[in-house]
Amino acid sequence: MTASPFLLPSFIGLLVFSLLPIVISFFLSLTDWNGLDRIAEAGFFEEHFIGLDNYKAILGGGEFWRVLLNTLKYIVLYIPLMLACSLSVAYLLSRERRGVTAFRIIYYIPVLTSWVAASMIWKSMLSPQYGAVNNLLALFGIDGPGWLLDENWAMPAIVLVSVWKDMGFFGLILLSGMVGINKSYYEAAALDGAGAWKRFWKITLPLMTPAIFYVLVVSLINAFQLFPQIMIMTDGGPNGATQVMVERIYKYGFRYYRMGYAAAFSWLLFIIIMLCTWLQMKGQKKWVNYDS
Amino acid sequence: MIRKRHLSAAGYYVVSILLAVVSLIPFLWMISTSLKSRGALMSIPIEWIPEDPTLSAYGEVFSRFPFLQTIGNSLFISITFTLITLVSASMAAFAFAKIRFRGSNVILKIYLAMMMIPTQVTMIPLFVIMNRLGLIDSYASVILPSIFKPFAVFMLVQQMQSIPNDYLDAARVDGAGIFHVYGRIALPMCAPTLATLAVTTFMESWNDYLWPLLMLTDRNKMTLPIALSTLNGQYNTEYNVLMAGSLISMIPIIIIYLCAQKQFKNGLMAGGIKG
Amino acid sequence: MKKRLSAVLACCLALLMVLSACGSQESEPSAAPTAAESDPGTAPSAESSEEPAAEPVTITYCNFNSSGGNEETLQRMYEAFHEEYPNITVEIETIAIDDYFTQMQTRIVGGTAPDCFEMNIENFAAYANMGVLAPIEGVDLSGLDETALSAFTVDGVQYGLPGNFSNVVLIYNKDLFDQADLEYPTSDWTQDDVQAAAEAIRALGDDIYGYYQPLTYNEFYKACAQFGGSLLNEDRTEFTINSPENVAAAQMMADRVLVTNVQPTAEQMGGMGDWDLFMSGRLGMIPTGIWAFNTFAEGCDFAWDIAVEPGMEQKATHFFSNACVVNEASENKDAAMTWITWLCSSPTAAEIRIEAGWDLPAINDEEVLASYLDLTPPDNREAVFESLDYLVVPPVIEDYALMSDIIGQQLEAAAAGTVSVQEALDEAQAQCEAQITLG
Repeated sequence: MTASPFLLPSFIGLLVFSLLPIVISFFLSLTDWNGLDRIAEAGFFEEHFIGLDNYKAILGGGEFWRVLLNTLKYIVLYIPLMLACSLSVAYLLSRERRGVTAFRIIYYIPVLTSWVAASMIWKSMLSPQYGAVNNLLALFGIDGPGWLLDENWAMPAIVLVSVWKDMGFFGLILLSGMVGINKSYYEAAALDGAGAWKRFWKITLPLMTPAIFYVLVVSLINAFQLFPQIMIMTDGGPNGATQVMVERIYKYGFRYYRMGYAAAFSWLLFIIIMLCTWLQMKGQKKWVNYDS
Repeated sequence: MIRKRHLSAAGYYVVSILLAVVSLIPFLWMISTSLKSRGALMSIPIEWIPEDPTLSAYGEVFSRFPFLQTIGNSLFISITFTLITLVSASMAAFAFAKIRFRGSNVILKIYLAMMMIPTQVTMIPLFVIMNRLGLIDSYASVILPSIFKPFAVFMLVQQMQSIPNDYLDAARVDGAGIFHVYGRIALPMCAPTLATLAVTTFMESWNDYLWPLLMLTDRNKMTLPIALSTLNGQYNTEYNVLMAGSLISMIPIIIIYLCAQKQFKNGLMAGGIKG
Repeated sequence: MKKRLSAVLACCLALLMVLSACGSQESEPSAAPTAAESDPGTAPSAESSEEPAAEPVTITYCNFNSSGGNEETLQRMYEAFHEEYPNITVEIETIAIDDYFTQMQTRIVGGTAPDCFEMNIENFAAYANMGVLAPIEGVDLSGLDETALSAFTVDGVQYGLPGNFSNVVLIYNKDLFDQADLEYPTSDWTQDDVQAAAEAIRALGDDIYGYYQPLTYNEFYKACAQFGGSLLNEDRTEFTINSPENVAAAQMMADRVLVTNVQPTAEQMGGMGDWDLFMSGRLGMIPTGIWAFNTFAEGCDFAWDIAVEPGMEQKATHFFSNACVVNEASENKDAAMTWITWLCSSPTAAEIRIEAGWDLPAINDEEVLASYLDLTPPDNREAVFESLDYLVVPPVIEDYALMSDIIGQQLEAAAAGTVSVQEALDEAQAQCEAQITLG
């Protein structure tokens, strides 16, 4: 089996550092473990086993659905905007003009900033009266919203910051997909007299669908796991408007000492992500073009 | 080569520069804050450029903790972490993309599924496992998880699938061993992806905070983000010092990025010629 | 092939499970009393310094409070301690508060928790109830402040010693009071006096505000006490979040924002910090912690002073304290106990703490505390000690963090005006009853 030497290191890693902890966390999701008692002791599982009660409590309560809705709100805003921005980034960087290298470096700087630093900076920049953003908007006569302090604007603000942080990364991935396109397609199209816009829609976009597909899968998974920016910028507020799945999981596990409940919560999240990814995989045959 | 002049030059530069400004503003804000005298992140009116800039925050960063040792720890961890990730992930990706073996689809799906579990949940079980393995407080506990990075594998599989099989088959016919094919043919063709991955993996490891905090309790093994976090007080935070520290901590990442960027560009060129 | 793969997978898993089960036996710390424990020589009392135990021990101490500027102060304290107790070596780990408790929780589960560590009030009861903390025994507690001590008991057992101590006073801008031609606040002031003064100051200008006391959980439970209410009934078996007294307290706080607007709304604050607002000279009064003194002394270019917080039916003022606790699983409990007792109650540690302007030691030795009064501004430092007569102990329950988040979120809605105060507190009451079992 020629594959095994290549697969072995990461497969061992999969077992020890991923699968095993996940299996353990599944067992924990069936318990009322508080996250402080020792789990290794004999009789731990028998003593704390509560069956599916955690799952019932989560699905029966309103919080889960509210938080899921918040997460979906984020996804619906984030994915299209991020895709549009990173496509623009990729397109701009694919042009061979003077300074393109500088732009490539600059667009990547947000990606290189740690979430902790980025979130703190944006938090101060989004401050309604004294922050940079609203002061800039005021120059154009726009009365900026309360952003992170406003229930309706907090999530869009988080989306904007996330797009700012991610567009360079996804832009570069899309760029490598865009550059890989066979030049003869363009030449043929040029002979047919197709304009730039048409060439982009008819050739570039269809032929880079594998890269777009990859970006969609990864960004969706990341979007469901939205967390550090929320913790630093809003901590779930205002009035719960930015409470999302992982934020709840972290709070239940490490703030409220309900680790079993948190584990069940995360298994539900896991199932949701898996369903979405599965749907994406199913759907890819319809639009992803692997011929190029 | 790519067709030019899809946009008029003026339009191109307007959009590009606008995006560049958006990308850079927070970064410039960071620099400006780090040059302010004390916690003036919320001063009114905003001082875009500090009135009397000072480097005291930078001095403070260096005096608060053993800075060189901390940087050394972080460098060691991040570099090993990145190398292991690249090697392990590219090997696995090669196996998935270019070696036909049964079950490969199932295993690849398991890999993908592993990306979907939020780390917050596996943290405690993983801690317990590390403890049983006797790895707590050793660099290995922070570095070892790098052998399994499904995200990197997934990304490289995508890339390797796009390498025409003819290339590899031709090499095999010429008598090249499978390791030769992997190292000499498949890897170079993934250069842009590897470069991107190197940067993001290095960055992830460099900025990782919670896991090293849980694993490394010895002060001498402390990494940079942990050291920086000690600037946060219970009641107040010195933003200028924090920003100075964050900026210093970005320097190695930017250097790595600039190096990788050359690789990336070459890879793109190769991609362009290849087509 | 597929089958074989899954079989391999299952085997690997089983192996790992067995491995971890075996390992767990070895790494359990032994429950048997250690030599140090049965040796009276290390009994944590003053005498032990004269007769140091033969065996030197090394213990670890984790804390978050020294993070952000006082690490050296803590180190100085330790050096003084080590001189007195040369046989006890303490390894100090300082971790920022943000993830301190995540780390502590993980280490307790993994069995690698430090011998002694710092706890805040929010997390204290949860840890004590889980049996993670060792009861504090055989230690002289007479030098410690009683109110602070009482905050760290569960069912009458002392599980922690108050390490530091901060309380809240009313800080006011003298210049604004002069401009509005008002008398300065005194310790007899009630919330009504505050309201009158705040309105006069608010009238001074469009962007000048009278008072700032956000409708947060912390401010709320204190205001409840001032109005004669509380969040729990006396034996802590039931929530009383929506009692008439509490509603009155929250209503007063909300009205200051939404009705009289002597206090800025979130929009008017515009994301500015409350301290920054005060330091900009546009805020008349702010009840805040004494840890603001250093910052205000540096950052205010106007005259300011302090008074005891205003009361209503009765006086009530906040205090914040972190506890030093000993890990139940530690093998060096006595040495750990000696260290934290010294750290919390010895005059030497207290002096170092005061000298560094860190915060107050939770001791009752007035001579040591006297040196604190010499520092100015503020001139009226006595108010800090006067406030100690009115301390409210936070309602420490096991699910403290959950309760405070539920109440906090409802109050936020009330402060924004999206629901009425009564509705918000009714909802908080219902949610707490549904999610938290008291008892």
